[in-house]
Amino acid sequence: MTERSIAVVTAGLTTPSSSRLLADQLAAAVRDELSGRGIEARAEIIEVRDHAHDLTNNLLTGFPPAQLRKVLETVEQADALIAVTPTFSASYSGLFKMFFDVLDDKALAGKPVLLGATGGTERHSLVLDFALRPLFAYLKALPVATGVYAASTDWGTGAAKLRTRIAQAATELVATLHHETPRQADPYENPTPFEDLLNG
Amino acid sequence: MQFGVFTVGDVTEDPTTGRTVSEAERIKAMVAIAVKAEEVGLDVFAQGEHHNPPFVPSSPTTQLGFIAAKTSKIILSTSTTLITTNDPVKIAEDYAMLQHLADGRVDLMMGRGNTGPVYPWFGQDIRNGIALAVENYALLRRLWREDVVDWEGKFRTPLQGFTATPRPLDGVPPFVWHGSIRSPEIAEQAAYYGDGFFHNNIFWPMSHTQRMIQLYRSRFEHYGHGAADQAIVGLGGQVFMRKNSQDAVREFRPYFDSAPVYGHGPSLEDFSRETPLTVGSPQQVIERTLTFREHVGDYQRQLFLMDHAGLPLKTVLEQLDILGSEVVPVLHKEFAAKKPAHVPDAPTHASLKAAAERARDLETIKEPTA
Repeated sequence: MTERSIAVVTAGLTTPSSSRLLADQLAAAVRDELSGRGIEARAEIIEVRDHAHDLTNNLLTGFPPAQLRKVLETVEQADALIAVTPTFSASYSGLFKMFFDVLDDKALAGKPVLLGATGGTERHSLVLDFALRPLFAYLKALPVATGVYAASTDWGTGAAKLRTRIAQAATELVATLHHETPRQADPYENPTPFEDLLNG
Repeated sequence: MQFGVFTVGDVTEDPTTGRTVSEAERIKAMVAIAVKAEEVGLDVFAQGEHHNPPFVPSSPTTQLGFIAAKTSKIILSTSTTLITTNDPVKIAEDYAMLQHLADGRVDLMMGRGNTGPVYPWFGQDIRNGIALAVENYALLRRLWREDVVDWEGKFRTPLQGFTATPRPLDGVPPFVWHGSIRSPEIAEQAAYYGDGFFHNNIFWPMSHTQRMIQLYRSRFEHYGHGAADQAIVGLGGQVFMRKNSQDAVREFRPYFDSAPVYGHGPSLEDFSRETPLTVGSPQQVIERTLTFREHVGDYQRQLFLMDHAGLPLKTVLEQLDILGSEVVPVLHKEFAAKKPAHVPDAPTHASLKAAAERARDLETIKEPTA
């Protein structure tokens, strides 16, 4: 049985958090979809809140403390990413953005991403397309066409429809997983020869 | 092995008193630190170059020339000389002049500078940082090594029949280190020329310093200057010491907490674990510093940052006393005992002059006697 690693980044602040709930359901749907194809999924949940101090320290010092470094490596090495943020002031939360600010800006290049967001009202649902998509486009990630937004009603009367959207998004993510994610060249392994630098 | 201090020359408020020294006081304090460094037996004093507040040292050779007159043994160096925004012609002349005045007690560390707005003040653009470092340094080397230079490049006006004056002392250019925190191109440049490579090693984890040094060493060997373990490596370090380590932590913490660069971020304890910062007893500083060679191999120069974050001059001078009397003598002995015979010391004016004379003698022998 082959295996795929899925990094799940969720930036909810409360316990329990609706962002975490959505992240868990997305991860479960992706796992089901993969197992139907005979592929095992290894999902690693990353609660951004747990690294809030380290993220600030990384911004101030320029390097990630040891624990955060491990988490950033998990995201870099994953075959796919599920990213979920609460909607704050018409956008992703500041904490969510900090995570992607300190992540190497080449880390997500070519990586399939499933976008998720939560909010108190469905009036914010375009946050996926107006805030998250541009961010992941800059990072050269490959977000699947369906993003999943969950408002308060989606946890009650709208639950069935939410499940449909989650299943659709999971199917799309898994469909992209046969792609080889390009690995970044290590500048410390293969430096540009100095003659090339001298010749401009 | 050489030990010394390096300073950036920042003017920072003392967070424990709220007092900020004047530029005059800071400039004179840097001189006092250099003189003290020689007095306590250190080998190197290196100072930064900056052209924006809160830093004072915009004119390093003026300051180093003044220090040269007040000292007799210590090597005067830079940390760093801006190879990007300075005209290489002026660097060639300023430091050759300093060599003569200081009887050869001069070397330099090249750096790019990391502040975007500084570049346009000198007609440059930070996006050309690497290209400027490459072209300017290639010209600087020729200006020191060739009496008459014809040159044309991208970044300055061409030179025709130009002679930089004065010529380097004894015809021997100052030894050059290249400093970079994370640019593989600069490690590559140092390796290509067989120059020294310095990692400031005070802001980032040792694992990163190790990768940069490994790259430099392997490329030094690739370019045929010797085995990887014979490359010339320098490291920075940052320490604060008191007899009892708790006293050191208590006294340094307010300076750490509001220091430029990492202040208001990680705790002193976290930063000490993640980076080479050592706050504690002289013995702890000795033990930590000795671990550096386990990461980067036997190296030639260790500089300590002692005078930043608003520490008063009196405290800095006390720190230098402890460094010179209790720490460096032990480090000298321990490092020397571990270093294999084939690993060279850092080049000095005397050793470079002797090498140049040996090379000339060999040339004379090889010449056919017609």
